[in-house]
Amino acid sequence: MAILRAAIQMLLFPGLVYAVSASFFMLWLQRKINARLQGRIGPPFYQPFFDFVKLLGKQPIGRPMLQGFVMTALPVAAVAAMLGAVALLPVLPSGAEFPGDLVLLVALIEVGPLLAVLGGFVSRSMWGELGAAREAVMTAVYNLPFLTALIALGWTSDLSISKLATTATWPVRFLALAAILLCLPAKLHLNPFSISSAEQEIYAGVTTEYDGPRLALWELAHGLEWVALAGLFAVLSVPLPGVADVWRILVFLAISVLVVVLLSVAAASTARLKLAQTARWFWLWGLLLAGSALGLTLAGI
Amino acid sequence: MSPVIPLGPFHPALEEPYKVEVTTTGETITDAEITVGFNFRGIEWLAERKTYTQDIALLERVCGICSNVHTLMFCRAVEKIADLEVPARAKFIRVIVAEAERLHSHLLWAGVACNLIGFETLFMTCFSLREQVMDVLEGISGNRVNYAMNRPGGVNRDITDPASILDAVRTIADVTAKQLIPVMTTDRTVRARCSGVGILTREDAIAYGAVGPMARASGLATDIRKSAPYLVYDQLTFDVPVRSEGDVFARIVVRALEILESCKIIEQAIDMMPAGPIAGGLFLAVPAGEAAIRIEAPRGEVVYYMESNGTDMPARVRVRTPTFANMPTVRVMAIGQGLSDLGLIQASIDPCYSCNDR
Repeated sequence: MAILRAAIQMLLFPGLVYAVSASFFMLWLQRKINARLQGRIGPPFYQPFFDFVKLLGKQPIGRPMLQGFVMTALPVAAVAAMLGAVALLPVLPSGAEFPGDLVLLVALIEVGPLLAVLGGFVSRSMWGELGAAREAVMTAVYNLPFLTALIALGWTSDLSISKLATTATWPVRFLALAAILLCLPAKLHLNPFSISSAEQEIYAGVTTEYDGPRLALWELAHGLEWVALAGLFAVLSVPLPGVADVWRILVFLAISVLVVVLLSVAAASTARLKLAQTARWFWLWGLLLAGSALGLTLAGI
Repeated sequence: MSPVIPLGPFHPALEEPYKVEVTTTGETITDAEITVGFNFRGIEWLAERKTYTQDIALLERVCGICSNVHTLMFCRAVEKIADLEVPARAKFIRVIVAEAERLHSHLLWAGVACNLIGFETLFMTCFSLREQVMDVLEGISGNRVNYAMNRPGGVNRDITDPASILDAVRTIADVTAKQLIPVMTTDRTVRARCSGVGILTREDAIAYGAVGPMARASGLATDIRKSAPYLVYDQLTFDVPVRSEGDVFARIVVRALEILESCKIIEQAIDMMPAGPIAGGLFLAVPAGEAAIRIEAPRGEVVYYMESNGTDMPARVRVRTPTFANMPTVRVMAIGQGLSDLGLIQASIDPCYSCNDR
């Protein structure tokens, strides 16, 4: 029975099937909200999927063998890591949890940006390298408050993600979740922190030199990042011990969509900040929230 | 050794070609060298080899945004040499088209500036307003870019539906005053990107001969419409917005306020426009002579010098556009700024390389 549940979690929900379909849905929802707020009609709901399929069908530009291999392997690995992260989300109790699974989840989420940095550098394009350098600095900028907030949440539960949702106290939870929510636009390259994908400054940044199926995989990895991060926020925000599975799933989906709506609205109503301004902002406000959450946890409040 | 980074001639965000080579220490710009001339088409040379009538169509194509300015200048130069009288109604129509064109230019620039700082929503707002101005211009002239309105001695088309122009202008003034200006001046992310960036002091503005909104954002109250009124500007009431900060933010504010002033001018001009002919009779020849004309284009002062020798072709047509006067200020503004601000500084002069290179 445990194996069946684990298999369902990996392949069906919140794993492969949900993750991929939700990633296309969230990419669409973000574009649609953005368009409506800007007085445009916006794309039909199947557009991100069609874009993906069209890119898959394109023949990529010929590259030296090793470079071509690395440029394919990196987005594949990014997709795999993100799928793993989504499958680990404890939406339903599976019985397969272990102490420290939060570390594995965070590691998988963080693999994506790291691979993107590598991907930018191996593409040997000036804009790719600039994008990669910016992405690398950005990971240092937003991860400090992000990880501090997660540690504050997981301190009392052996860094176990399923227990953490029930053990953290409300003041800690509130502060830590606020800090995590602040970091999400930076992690998803959204305004006002869309520095590593600033098309008016560095074209497409990391993915400038990627084409066809390779670009499609980066797009999918980005969509999965949306699902993973919105999902992470959802499972952390509302503890539901002893609640029927259907309700757990519905609450999880509702909060995930709410996060997408919130981030899209924030992105549509701001300009892009500069790297130094972003760093100052995160290390002040992000760390203030996350640090106070950690302080409260350590003080036992 | 400090690295020299060539930016351009093709920039990710600025559509026209021009090159800035910046010397940097880390992210900070220590020197900048500007290269122009990638868009040279030999228009002045061509103008001396075509007839006056053909030149009107040619000079309309100096610029893709302020096309009306160039035909207006050329026709006024011809009128000055040939001593042609322009009917009063034609003068008002010229003012209306010129101000609509200023609206078009400023809204386009505001959109580009928003795009450069990554504010896509505001960019869309500006461009939807610009669309309305283009509809107005299309309603008047039948064209959306090259209006073909001016001819020596008058204009080619009458304004037959002033009510629709008034409607559009009031919408633009309303949206600008209630949405555009409040968001642009109070949004913290916009301020963070534009305040204190690319400062041009009053002294530098004088030393480099900056013109138009550039000079007005640096505390110089220069406007040819006020200092040397042409057409019927002396009969119209309007203010010249001036700011003293001299940064990119001040330039945004000056241009935004000018949008409101232009709307005011158009409303007055439509009210005051007398009935009557829109052009004089055909003129037979341009006598020998010379004329120098200057007017306030959307980007600043444009100067035309024309010499005729009594034939059907001008002997010399010299065009000095505002971008040529403002371009050297990019160097002083860029020094000491961060590399990521350079695009915004370049764009803040509202450059038109097409006009500049001719």
